[in-house]
Amino acid sequence: MSDAIVTHDLAYRAGKHFELRDLGLHVREGSIYGFLGPNGSGKTTTIRLLLGMLRPARGTISVLGRPVPLDIARIMAETGYVPERPHLYPYLTVEQAVRFHAAFYPDFDEGYAAELRSAFAIPLEQRLAALSKGEMGKLHMLLVLAQRPRLLVLDEPTDGLDPVVRRDVLSALLDFCSQGTATVFISSHLVHELERICDWVGVLDNGKLVVELPMHGFKNGIKRIRLAHAPSLVGDTPFVMLQREVSGLEQVWVVRGWQAPMVQWFEGVGAEVREIVDLDLEEGFVELLRSSRTPAS
Amino acid sequence: MYKQVLHALWSALRLPIVLLAVLAFAVPLLTVTYGGNLAEAPTGRVAEWVFAAQQIGVLIPGLALLVGLLLGIGAWMHDHAGKHVYALSLPVTRERYVWLRFAAGATLLLAPVAALGLGALVAVLSVTLPSGIHSYPLQLTARFLLASLTCYAIFFAISISTKRAALVVLGLVGGVLLGDLLLTAVGAGASVTSTMFMWLTNWPGPLSILIGRWALFDV
Repeated sequence: MSDAIVTHDLAYRAGKHFELRDLGLHVREGSIYGFLGPNGSGKTTTIRLLLGMLRPARGTISVLGRPVPLDIARIMAETGYVPERPHLYPYLTVEQAVRFHAAFYPDFDEGYAAELRSAFAIPLEQRLAALSKGEMGKLHMLLVLAQRPRLLVLDEPTDGLDPVVRRDVLSALLDFCSQGTATVFISSHLVHELERICDWVGVLDNGKLVVELPMHGFKNGIKRIRLAHAPSLVGDTPFVMLQREVSGLEQVWVVRGWQAPMVQWFEGVGAEVREIVDLDLEEGFVELLRSSRTPAS
Repeated sequence: MYKQVLHALWSALRLPIVLLAVLAFAVPLLTVTYGGNLAEAPTGRVAEWVFAAQQIGVLIPGLALLVGLLLGIGAWMHDHAGKHVYALSLPVTRERYVWLRFAAGATLLLAPVAALGLGALVAVLSVTLPSGIHSYPLQLTARFLLASLTCYAIFFAISISTKRAALVVLGLVGGVLLGDLLLTAVGAGASVTSTMFMWLTNWPGPLSILIGRWALFDV
């Protein structure tokens, strides 16, 4: 299977305090890729680089097999983009906004747009300036889904929306994904939301890609292990040590890349495994960020 | 695509465009408010009337400036507010989108131009001119079109530029003014500002079209 998005050695600097470094993304075609990261980690900047809105200082970007920014108009013809804050023209009515958007996409699916508009209950004659944040979010989702894109790039699409609207938006997205083989690249800091829908995950922190792996690997591979008699010095381990805390005679290790047979490694170093706890995505995400900021000794 | 861009721009700017069109229609009519039948009028009155026509004609380049300013700035106002994100996400090259926007604005500019042409025509038909006096409704309309288009192009270019470019332009203007103050302080006879103004407003300067006589009636 080929990659819908590939970046290599990508670098970008914004001012004195923010920098993206050595970013290497691989988003497989047909996957739903969750791009996780805390606020200010560089998710929106990365997306704007992917869509040719910013020019990288170094590195290459390929989207849908075409180079960015050289072929950006053709890429955007097959890409639906929902920005963090909708920037549609506020003086248009909903109907006019749909017509305006449709004019740029020869394959715009008017029937599907009408279906979504009815499902989302967006008033046709309403000016965009008068729409609520939720209605605006739904309208933007409607526009990009009706494009029938090969690639959907969603930048915090549900941020600030109430739970009902969030559910509407996500279910429309999942419906769309079930209809075809579109690739979805969705950024968020709402970890639990991505846990339900993504099959790949990439974690960005402070402008650097911390990890990129299948969701099941991320969820199942991060464990909190309570140990007794653990060695004070740790050499090579079959897993990745994320965090290590000493609590009296016991130690608590947080590890990534865990597999059941690895318990034998602890026996080999004379440690006693007392408990292995599965971490959910949010806990794993937090531990991953902690370890990337202060690597375990 | 063009049709939708035009429609969107019209939705954004229709009220000021209609107001400008009304103004553009009214200005030539103002010229003849006390003209009437001048065929048999005494020379003094005709001269006074021609002078008044010239005075009112001064409003026309001002109107062209206003039309250019409104359309040039208005064309990108909402895109600036959204940091051009929506425009950049559309599947057209930046150059093409800019041309689409420019063409849409230039099309809307035709509304006040047509209104001025119509107003000029009505004004000309409503008076009987004395011998030696001629009317120039078509020439005035064509000149208004060119002047509006020039102003529109200038403000469109300023409006689309980045904040950095705008700061550079402002810095240059500030630098020139400062230079002028220094020249005045040392008692030098030259003035950069007036030289630049002369260069801009004298042929082939880009603003030369705004300067000169704009009368609907003349000898």
